[in-house]
Amino acid sequence: MAKGDVVIDIEHISKIYEMGTQKVFALKDVSLKIHENEYVALMGPSGSGKSTLMNILGCLDTPTDGKYFFKEDNVKEMTDNDLAEIRNREIGFVFQTFNLLPRANALKNVELPLVYAGMSPSKREELAEETLKNVGLSDRMDHKPNELSGGQRQRVAIARALVTNPAIILADEPTGNLDTKTGDEIMDLFNNLWQSGNTIILVTHEEDIAQNAKRIIRMRDGLIESDEENKNFGKHS
Amino acid sequence: MKLILEIFENFKMSFEAMISSPLRSFLASLGVMVGISIVILMGWLLDGLDNSFQKTFEIIGADMIYVDKWDWTGGKSWKLLRNRKNLTLEQALKLKEMHSSAELVIPNFNQWGMSIKYEDETIEGMSLVGAPSENQFTPAGELIDGRYYTEFEDNQGDYVSVIGYNVYKTLFPDGNAIGKIIKMGGRKYEVIGVVKKRGTFIFDFIDNQVFVPLNNFIKVYGTKVRSVNIGIKAGSKDKLDEVRTETIGLMRIIRNVKPGEENNFSINETKVFEDSIATIRNYIWVVGILLTMLSFIVGIIGIMNIMFVSVSERTKEIGIRKSMGAKKRSIWTQFLVESSSLTLFGAFASIIICTGLINLARVFIKSIYPEYSDVVEFFPPYLSLDLILIASMVSVVLGIFAGLIPAVRASNLDPVMALRSD
Repeated sequence: MAKGDVVIDIEHISKIYEMGTQKVFALKDVSLKIHENEYVALMGPSGSGKSTLMNILGCLDTPTDGKYFFKEDNVKEMTDNDLAEIRNREIGFVFQTFNLLPRANALKNVELPLVYAGMSPSKREELAEETLKNVGLSDRMDHKPNELSGGQRQRVAIARALVTNPAIILADEPTGNLDTKTGDEIMDLFNNLWQSGNTIILVTHEEDIAQNAKRIIRMRDGLIESDEENKNFGKHS
Repeated sequence: MKLILEIFENFKMSFEAMISSPLRSFLASLGVMVGISIVILMGWLLDGLDNSFQKTFEIIGADMIYVDKWDWTGGKSWKLLRNRKNLTLEQALKLKEMHSSAELVIPNFNQWGMSIKYEDETIEGMSLVGAPSENQFTPAGELIDGRYYTEFEDNQGDYVSVIGYNVYKTLFPDGNAIGKIIKMGGRKYEVIGVVKKRGTFIFDFIDNQVFVPLNNFIKVYGTKVRSVNIGIKAGSKDKLDEVRTETIGLMRIIRNVKPGEENNFSINETKVFEDSIATIRNYIWVVGILLTMLSFIVGIIGIMNIMFVSVSERTKEIGIRKSMGAKKRSIWTQFLVESSSLTLFGAFASIIICTGLINLARVFIKSIYPEYSDVVEFFPPYLSLDLILIASMVSVVLGIFAGLIPAVRASNLDPVMALRSD
């Protein structure tokens, strides 16, 4: 895949939740293209639909209406298994609450996506070790999540997202549970990842976190309010 | 390959989860453990019974059939049997002469309810058997001491005897019997041999016999008002059918049975006992299966319950796994492996516990009731490989059964909802 190819292409998607007899429009009409090696921040207040959009982009959920092409594959036509495979191979999730498996150590957590990819244990371990080294955790591999600091936990989660070499990294409020200093370190890590060629979608409601991205999409009431280049990009840090 | 890797991975995780909360795992699989234990103990009991019956057949002679006026099965009315004409020695000798397929044909007479005396010691209710010297080639001829009487001694009708194990033990507790003179029916006999212990708890009476030469028996008791019993040795179990057929044919000729008429003699063989064993086995099975079913139902409910708890406790984990690309199949595999690990663990625990129990029972019975020590020996101190395999397989099936609904529920969780839960 060449740099600049379209990874995500959504056209007029909507998402309706039915709460009893009432229909709630979480997304009304959203169209969006995201290219290879973009660094996008998805912004908006709570209830703006950014979480719903993120779930749809991450193939955790499917739109009620509209079209979604992931690398030219029609997501709407995919089965549960196809979606699981896309999540496994193409998408790396980073969550606000880290979402690590509490009983498994850092290495095992990073290995998890590779287990579902059907990789052999020895290859898995090798790859997970390498990825953990890349996020600066070579000395914490056998620590369980509760033995790690918040920043270290998020690094493990990022390593887990990276280990399958996915097409996009979807980070949902990745600094939301971290203090400012640690949050900045994590954002530096994302920056490095972007510079080394990764495509990053950052979901956040914090303006200064969003300022790290090159493109900022603002949402309100299930619609895209604005979608523009970040004029302050590069000045921020 | 992928599936095997996943199952292996899941098994490792389940095992870690199990040892991290041992009490919970133990309580969850308690019902299954009880059920599996019943299966194991039942199987072990049946194994032991089979062993003892097998032994018994060997004692009577698995390749022997007996032609007799009386019937072992008890299937015929006593009146009918009583009205049969006695089998005579002449008929037996004729059979012996004509028989071509049998290895040995041994006519013998029995006198029941004998009391046997040595010095001040008496043993009552023994049976005296008059048999030719060839009797030494049947299972009754295996001696632990002395020798059997010879053809010459038989022909002469000498007063010599080969005594059964119970007689030996009672009259000669110090072990020295050969050359001693015992008294039977007021006559003196020299003990020349001792038959090895053959009886089990099923056939104890078989050791209550004293063998004397056939011609001595005839000399003392005569042949009238007495039916001869004919032991026929086929030589091997495979030849039994052939020997039986020939024996029946010859006996019908010898005893003038007209075509279409029923035999006026009985053919007795160990097969008769196999049928009654089957009945005992069936009783054990029915009782065992009922108990097992009951505890399996309890066991399955226990495991199913703990699996539902496990699924709801780990909703978030399921969400994480799904977001990392776990397919439905991976999720339900995980929970099925977990539930069957629990039951398999239960099975292993049962195997260990039951092995302990049976050894304890053996030691206990041997020390409290030493007279049953020989019975205990038929029941092995270990569980057969078959039993262990069956227990393991049954437990895995139970685990899958119990885990099915929780596993499917887990795999159908919506990833977004699951991730949101806490």
